[in-house]
Amino acid sequence: MTSRKATHGFIRRENRRLLLRTVYSRIANSRVELANETGLAKPTVSDLISELIDEGYLVETGFGQSTDEGGKRPRLLEFVPNARHVIGLSLTAERVLGVLCDLNGDVRVHHFRDLGGISGNAVVDVLSEVINGLLAQSNAPLLCIGVGVPGTVDSQSGLVQYAPYLGWENLPLADRLSKHYEVPVYVANSTELAAMAHFAFGDLSGANGVNNLVTILVNENVGVGMVLNGAAYHSGGEIGRLHIPLPSNTDGNGSSGNLESRLGWQNVRQRAQPLERRYVDGSLPGDKLNYLHIREAVADQEPLAIALQDDLAECLAQVFAWVLTLLRPDHIALAGGIADLGEPLLNSAVEKARQLVWADAIDAVTFSLDNASNLIAIGAVAETLQKELGLI
Amino acid sequence: MSEWANRAMAKNLLGIVTNDPHDVFQSAVIAGIRKVANDSHYDLTVYTNPEASGEPIPSEVDGLLVIANVLSNDTLRRLYSQRKPISLVSHRVPDTPIPVVLSNNQQGIAELVQHLVKRCHRSKMVFIRGLMDQADAQERELAFRQELIRFNLHVPPHHFLRGDFSQKVAAESIRALLRRKPDFDSVVASDYPMAIAAVEALRNAGLSVPGQVSVVGFGDNPEAEVAGLTTLAATVNELGACAARQLISQIKGARISGVTMLSVRLIVRETCGYRPPRRGES
Repeated sequence: MTSRKATHGFIRRENRRLLLRTVYSRIANSRVELANETGLAKPTVSDLISELIDEGYLVETGFGQSTDEGGKRPRLLEFVPNARHVIGLSLTAERVLGVLCDLNGDVRVHHFRDLGGISGNAVVDVLSEVINGLLAQSNAPLLCIGVGVPGTVDSQSGLVQYAPYLGWENLPLADRLSKHYEVPVYVANSTELAAMAHFAFGDLSGANGVNNLVTILVNENVGVGMVLNGAAYHSGGEIGRLHIPLPSNTDGNGSSGNLESRLGWQNVRQRAQPLERRYVDGSLPGDKLNYLHIREAVADQEPLAIALQDDLAECLAQVFAWVLTLLRPDHIALAGGIADLGEPLLNSAVEKARQLVWADAIDAVTFSLDNASNLIAIGAVAETLQKELGLI
Repeated sequence: MSEWANRAMAKNLLGIVTNDPHDVFQSAVIAGIRKVANDSHYDLTVYTNPEASGEPIPSEVDGLLVIANVLSNDTLRRLYSQRKPISLVSHRVPDTPIPVVLSNNQQGIAELVQHLVKRCHRSKMVFIRGLMDQADAQERELAFRQELIRFNLHVPPHHFLRGDFSQKVAAESIRALLRRKPDFDSVVASDYPMAIAAVEALRNAGLSVPGQVSVVGFGDNPEAEVAGLTTLAATVNELGACAARQLISQIKGARISGVTMLSVRLIVRETCGYRPPRRGES
């Protein structure tokens, strides 16, 4: 085990982050207040604030009130969201999607490119072309890049160990991108970043005091991402290969199987295929069979759609039960394409989970749905803002 | 180096290809392009409908900005394969990653429908379509249909009106609809000029907007503000500016592919009928 010696440089960096976060969070907005709030010496505060002003992160905006004892009125400080831009990216088997954000995490522009079946190094080239598309729209220096990958990632080194949907194995993605763009690059598993997005920017109203949350992401695969004590837990990820006993689905499709083969989009699409003729509008080029068509069919009381939704709820109930029993989180978010099935699916899954765990466990947690297509990219932004500036 | 690059070296000239530089939408796009081009010291030259008039596609420029569907997809694919710096505005070529700038149609329509349902308590909608061979029109209609599913709303087929991104066509479609004595309480138009035309047609027929019918439209410009229209700030000038930045970046050597999507923002004005609660009201 290596010791983390508190070098002068390390302390200075931590103090700088503390001051920036204190202004960003509007806890204090003058040097005097910052010294009082943080306990740092006034000369240290002045020195670091000058540095942050020189680098454009803070501006002086006017004068505050002098204290009751009189004296000079303090110069007020304000955080500058547009001082730097951050790029967040998400990869799926089908698409690279990127966002260009300011330091508040507000999205200025999206850029996407469909992969059309390519894999391996060609995907890295496309990733660069998406980053270039975002950089073209930026009018601030780039701070860093975050990338969410569907697969196993060593987030410390930014090495993608295995991402079968992209044809990547032992790819040093962070190294390659950071050499090219000359900024720090953070790479993590997509599901972890989806959880980070919920933690940092999610609408968790009604879920007060959320510190531990779990995001269950279902697209092609099934993943569990966790934010524990306010930080992404980097050993979550894909759980689709888990073999579990499951009730037979209405096709009699076996009583066991892995989660991916039951919950993943490939299986769902196959089972929903008979709905295509009635629900997909061939005259609109972008209209392809998706979860919303299934939802529409459920609303129409189509037996096939109702049975399919019921099977998905059974599988999700199993996942909810494990998560509740093992982690006792404050909040569970269901995300990815499957969230388009909406409240009927979520409510059914929660009710089925209630049969599998004790009632207290399920009543202590709140649930939400998130079908935002940019969730992972936003999570990548949150992760980089936390790591680079300590802002989240 | 490609033939294109040899011919076009360092002219600091951008070509705009449009089918009508005086059209409300296209002139606003061009204004946005002009601003960025000026700031970056590029001159502009505008070509109107070259393919239809049999003129060659301009090659004596550093790069091309092509607005909407003025060039055929085959021509665009050919230009792209020659690695000419090119950016499309509000148009996509299927299965070809030519750099494109679009408004975020899906997000925008979702915000309009959500606003009508959740805040204005409307549920019986009419949709005015755009020109259905343009990507914007297709994406906006698809997004509208998806939102109907999310909110479990039913819109009968005859409530999807022809609009062609034309105020005249939209107004005529509304008049034709009214002759059928339809049951509806809101209109979503695929662009804001058609929404303005719809408001006028409805009022001329004696209906109160927003008292009886809420009207909203996609995109925004000063004339939408004058009309008091609830819209989405997908500023058309910014669409042009964004495309110009994308093209100049390519000319300087960046390899870009795929679609840049501009974020949009709901602007609530009078035609939707929503009144924000005053302080103290729930």
